[in-house]
Amino acid sequence: MAMDRIISLQMSALLRKEMLETWRDRRALWMAICFSLLIPVMLAGTMVIVVKKQTEESTRLVLLGGDVAPLLEQRLRSDSLEVEALAEGEPRALLAGGYDLVLQLEEGFVDRYESFRAPKMYLYVDSSSTSAGRAERHLQERLGKLQQLVVSQRLTARGVAPQLLAPWQLQVRDVSTPSSRGALLLAMVPGLLILTLFVASLATSVDTSAGERERLSLEALLMQPVPGWQLVAAKMLAVASMGWLGSLLAIAALVALMPVMPLAELGIQQATTASGVITMGLLLLPLALLVAVVQILLALRSSSFKDAQTQLSILQIAPVMLLMVLDAARVDLADSYWQLVPLVAQQQWLKSLLVGDSVSLPLLLAGSMVCLLLVALSVAFGARALRRESLLGAT
Amino acid sequence: MVWMRRLLLGAVLSVGPGLPGLVAAQDELASRACHLDGWSDALRCFRVAVGADDSELAVMVAPAVNDSEREPLYLLAGGPGQAASDLAPLLNAFRKINRERDIVMVDRRGAGLSGAFRCGFEREMPADLQQFSRRLADCYLQRPDFAESLSSRQTVEDLERVRMFLGHGRIALWGGSWGTRTALLYQQWYPESLSALVLDAVAPIDTKVFLTATAAERALQQLERDCARDPVCARFGDWKGQLAKMLNGWSAEQAASFPDPLTGGPVTEPLARWVLANAIRGALYDPVAAAQIPYAVHQAGRGNYLPLSGITGLFQNHADSMAMGLTFSVACAEELNRIGADEVAADSEGSFLGSAFFDLFRSGCEAWPVSSKPYAAPAPREHPVLLISGSADPITPPYYAEQQLGYLSHRQHLVVAGGGHINSRRGCIPELISRFLEMPGEPLEQACVADIHRPPFMADAFGPALGVSAVSVERGDQL
Repeated sequence: MAMDRIISLQMSALLRKEMLETWRDRRALWMAICFSLLIPVMLAGTMVIVVKKQTEESTRLVLLGGDVAPLLEQRLRSDSLEVEALAEGEPRALLAGGYDLVLQLEEGFVDRYESFRAPKMYLYVDSSSTSAGRAERHLQERLGKLQQLVVSQRLTARGVAPQLLAPWQLQVRDVSTPSSRGALLLAMVPGLLILTLFVASLATSVDTSAGERERLSLEALLMQPVPGWQLVAAKMLAVASMGWLGSLLAIAALVALMPVMPLAELGIQQATTASGVITMGLLLLPLALLVAVVQILLALRSSSFKDAQTQLSILQIAPVMLLMVLDAARVDLADSYWQLVPLVAQQQWLKSLLVGDSVSLPLLLAGSMVCLLLVALSVAFGARALRRESLLGAT
Repeated sequence: MVWMRRLLLGAVLSVGPGLPGLVAAQDELASRACHLDGWSDALRCFRVAVGADDSELAVMVAPAVNDSEREPLYLLAGGPGQAASDLAPLLNAFRKINRERDIVMVDRRGAGLSGAFRCGFEREMPADLQQFSRRLADCYLQRPDFAESLSSRQTVEDLERVRMFLGHGRIALWGGSWGTRTALLYQQWYPESLSALVLDAVAPIDTKVFLTATAAERALQQLERDCARDPVCARFGDWKGQLAKMLNGWSAEQAASFPDPLTGGPVTEPLARWVLANAIRGALYDPVAAAQIPYAVHQAGRGNYLPLSGITGLFQNHADSMAMGLTFSVACAEELNRIGADEVAADSEGSFLGSAFFDLFRSGCEAWPVSSKPYAAPAPREHPVLLISGSADPITPPYYAEQQLGYLSHRQHLVVAGGGHINSRRGCIPELISRFLEMPGEPLEQACVADIHRPPFMADAFGPALGVSAVSVERGDQL
């Protein structure tokens, strides 16, 4: 009984010390907060801008020689395409002067059109410009409609039913659901949330391990009559608290920004539920612990503070890259055994919860248990490593 | 986690007047993913049992992208005899509305996927009226009770049942053409279930919409005016006079040698005068087709019937969307029953159509002896109503909406200049409908309706005139 009390007293003192040091470090705290907010804000921002550009911003077209073809000018004009008919002009200069496209009509265009000699239109486009592609789509859409009208009238004039041009009807049947469309667009988000976890705990984990060693306070700590595992666990908890806070903040920001994101315009359901958000937060906790302890172990292994920083920077990129590669390679990660692999499991769960799908509770528990088991092993491993003299020798 | 929420939600909803358990169950059990032509996304399809005789209604729901619990929009199809499932292409225009609202299509009994009562007319319609009546009579005799049972009353009751089945509170209705009649009757009989009405091409309860000759004549006159104002079309001169002359003097020889727009050869069955007049009337429904009438008539006046044949070809595919049995059950019991011979004469007087349209129904109804099902006079209603009309609609012109809907105290009317029958997909109209549904009480900013123009008139064999050219000026002298 007394022994237990001593252990818990020592442990809580240790934990208090580690927490205090972690949370007192304003710079690390601010970095965690900023990075956590950065990703959701960037995601929402890009989405808003892209959709706004696609739907609202109109593109500008010059119709060179269009003064003789008012119907063409009138029919090409739309909400998304401004059309200006000019009698003359230099296409290159016009493109340089702020127009997105220049459509030049051949000399004698209308006469050739009326005598069925398929007159030419020349489309000048600067394909290196960002709006050229969009402008060209707008133009093709309008021009296609007008062409259809002309063809239909020509056929009617010859007594041909226009449906003769369509020997069959192709009906597209899209089997995606709003949530699966969302999964496609939001596929990056889980990886980024996990990255946040790594980044937010990075500074703290380096400081509490390699940093303490360089400040020579680690030696003092090791001289205390405290079991090694308690030392590692205390540090891990402190570091994980920072990482977890970062990812919680990122989730909160993401969910808060969702109403701003034009998801519905993209045909995506905004389906993240309140219970889903809580689950997302909870399922990241074991991962936060694992990331923290691995970061601490790596930093302790490194030869210096700087070396630790380098190693951990690689560590934070590597898993996220791996996840993205696995995703891009279309490895089927939805299988149940993948959900026992840390990182992959959390990514899959986050992905499902983000689009409002459900996650199997037994698998979630099993996967988290695997993660916690690895945490325990790492702590034990760390405790053994702390006993080695060489650990302190590194400078 | 989602299932937990569903369970909770289901429990909450079932406290209401609905049927406990049903609301939670319909999500999982009765619906299946399905598709309709003209819309690529998956829909949720239900079969809803109605009536004593195992009848089932096909109910299709385009679920809202966001579940914001705004009242759903039900689409009601025209005809009578058309199916709501044929309205699926409209979802493309109503994409924005569908973001926040479920859009529901219910095929009424005897239409579309709810056991279409077609009488075997899906392939061709006989041009001979007597033959048509005979086939109709055979069809009636096979299912006289069923023919008698089909009515607007039944459709409205079924719609109300579907509303309860889906667990919807108040609903908004979009009606097109005859669908507006169904919507207006639903408003009379179930005002508590309704939030707002969008009526495109309105057939008011008191209006005898099968008297179409005057409306069609006015649409043609408007086409004539618009054509005269257009420098290209004006060159066709008095094409309307030529049309009258042609229709009046339509000979057996002309009827037999009329070219077939599908095969290119002469028609297999002579083109009767009433069919030709109805083809012109039909072309007036759609401004794109109407824009070709002046040129086609002008050419016919010179002995070239190809363009006119091309116009009749524009509508070749349309017949199969109408379930004739249903059409006659409803039309004979609710419209033809209240139209007298003197009214037909007055309506046809001085019109190009004459009684060519009405005769089809009159002879059909003689073979379809369902009992008369008159409506009561409409009672005042205060729901917000958005009316949409095309100024050149040959069957439900804007003055129907203006003259016969005084009992609706909160209505606003969009009139598309030169517009034909059904305008919900054109220009800014989908956007205005969406805004109306968001704030039904607010008056709409209507300025953008004026940006919807008639499509360009056909100028010559090359199609529309893109501009003024030496060639066309030269040719202009010959016309």
